[in-house]
Amino acid sequence: MLIVLPQLIVGGIATGMLYALIALSMTVVYRATTIVNFGHGDLVMAGAYAIFVFTAGLALPFLPALLLAAGLLFLLGFGLHRLLMQPIMSGPHLSLAMMALAAGNVLRGAARLEWGNETLALARPYAQTSFLLGQTVFTMDDIVTTGAVLLLLLALFCVLHLTPAGKIIQAVFQSQRGAALVGINVNAFHGVMWGTGAALGAIGGALLALTVTLSPDIGVWTLLRAFAAMTLGGFGSLGGAVIGGILLGVMEKLLGFYVSTAFIDITAYVVTILVLLVRPQGLFGRPAARRI
Amino acid sequence: MASEAAPRRARRRFLLLPALLLALPPFLDQYQQYVVNLVLVYIPVGVGFNLVVGNLGQLAFSNVAFFGIGAYTSGILMLKLGLPWWATLPPAGIMGALAGGAASVPALRGVRSFYLAVMTLAFGELMRWSYIRLESLTGGSMGMAVPSADVFGWALATEWRKFYVFLALAAATVIATDRLLRSRIGRAFMAIKDNETAAAAMGIATSGYFVLGFAWSGFVVGIGGAMFAVLVGHLSPDSFDLIELILQFAIIMVGGLASLTGSVLGAVVITATPQIFANFPGFQELIFGLLIVLVILFLPRGLASLLARLHPVFRDQYYDG
Repeated sequence: MLIVLPQLIVGGIATGMLYALIALSMTVVYRATTIVNFGHGDLVMAGAYAIFVFTAGLALPFLPALLLAAGLLFLLGFGLHRLLMQPIMSGPHLSLAMMALAAGNVLRGAARLEWGNETLALARPYAQTSFLLGQTVFTMDDIVTTGAVLLLLLALFCVLHLTPAGKIIQAVFQSQRGAALVGINVNAFHGVMWGTGAALGAIGGALLALTVTLSPDIGVWTLLRAFAAMTLGGFGSLGGAVIGGILLGVMEKLLGFYVSTAFIDITAYVVTILVLLVRPQGLFGRPAARRI
Repeated sequence: MASEAAPRRARRRFLLLPALLLALPPFLDQYQQYVVNLVLVYIPVGVGFNLVVGNLGQLAFSNVAFFGIGAYTSGILMLKLGLPWWATLPPAGIMGALAGGAASVPALRGVRSFYLAVMTLAFGELMRWSYIRLESLTGGSMGMAVPSADVFGWALATEWRKFYVFLALAAATVIATDRLLRSRIGRAFMAIKDNETAAAAMGIATSGYFVLGFAWSGFVVGIGGAMFAVLVGHLSPDSFDLIELILQFAIIMVGGLASLTGSVLGAVVITATPQIFANFPGFQELIFGLLIVLVILFLPRGLASLLARLHPVFRDQYYDG
């Protein structure tokens, strides 16, 4: 039984990297705007379909298609914020959550109307090989997913810590009012962060679409897993989202193998509920201060 | 106050409305009657949901879970224990109430707002997983056939018979919730929604009211679930997915948050219209999503606020405006 442990962990990390990326893209929006985007999963789904259309429909190579999809989703995220969220930013949390959820539903409904009855799969832009290292198999899917996410994380880290734009982002993360006082256009910043979150989500969706069949419901599926990753790592913590995602991926594999395959589906839900009940701030989050 | 007596008297006239509906069945064909019955199912569902989201102001996504629990409780008790349908109504309500109580536990632990939403969303999906996995009880993903129902031996064999029973149940839940919201409890809900800390400082036992609100919501929605089980005659996990959640959200948002009139209106509008489009997968999600977006942007208090503009009788007294 133990001999497969490294194999499970490798597979878990590869899946977990995807969760990490999507959780991170939600956390970026959450930290910037203090809104949890309940429609984010559907943006991920839209990204996956966008890249499908670009590669299969327009016959573009994978990487340009990926960039186009990310750009398109940036515009979509930016537009969603400008048209739908910004007018109600001062409203109650309920309207904000419902607005995001409803906008996501519109996207999902549109995708289902168009592609609901077809099973679509994205062609891999690489050969589907695998390598053997000791007893452990590394598939090309695992390597590409993990590598792509690590690259993105590195790039994000550099942007956040080494560029002037990163300084602005960190300033707004710390205090919206303070950032506004030193002359940062917080509204414009919110829009850009929504766009960035959506673009990151689109890349996550593209990576996801490499290994699973496209369906309008993959958005919700990823949303719930990203929530679990965010909750586990600590809501609002960037590093926490990444580590939470990886941990969740590994946990799914371990529970699925050592307990029952039925548990793969609900690991995320159980993790979410248990963490919020036992330690609401997660592993790395600060205890949430309630606004009075 | 004398000025409030007149609208109150005028309001009583609305009790005539269900009475007028009693004469409806002869004018409807089988399918129209089914749609009307479906509307009646969604009245308690909307009323219960609106209580938690609108009146208590909590971002809880667990309503579909209560709905499913009520439906499956009723179905399983009829199928496995051979209970008559009317006898499964109290257990369905109680199981719903227990689920409601369970859903309010995180709220007691200080889990609020987005956290509560995420958690209750996970709870709902966990329940849907259970319907699929507890195959011996629920029939798994194939679903279960619900035996034919009766009320004290009076078989609910036709749609119009169901109509009268459903009408009575829907009216009862609306009236009971109305009484609840007008009482001390309803005022406590209002205070908690406006400012929880201030409510606690005034001596309102907020946790107790939380559990009470969620449990009542679960009870009412559970009854709705039992009605649903009998109406459709077949329960499957697909009936309790996220499309159902957006439908129920559409009912309370389009109808009007924190408004009983709104819940009823929403149930009528949202349940009746999309039946026409039921054959196009995705269309319902699209329409409900668009409706919610438009309502939040342009009509934040829903259709009920339009009605209130027509006549003050429709103005809600359990919302502070």
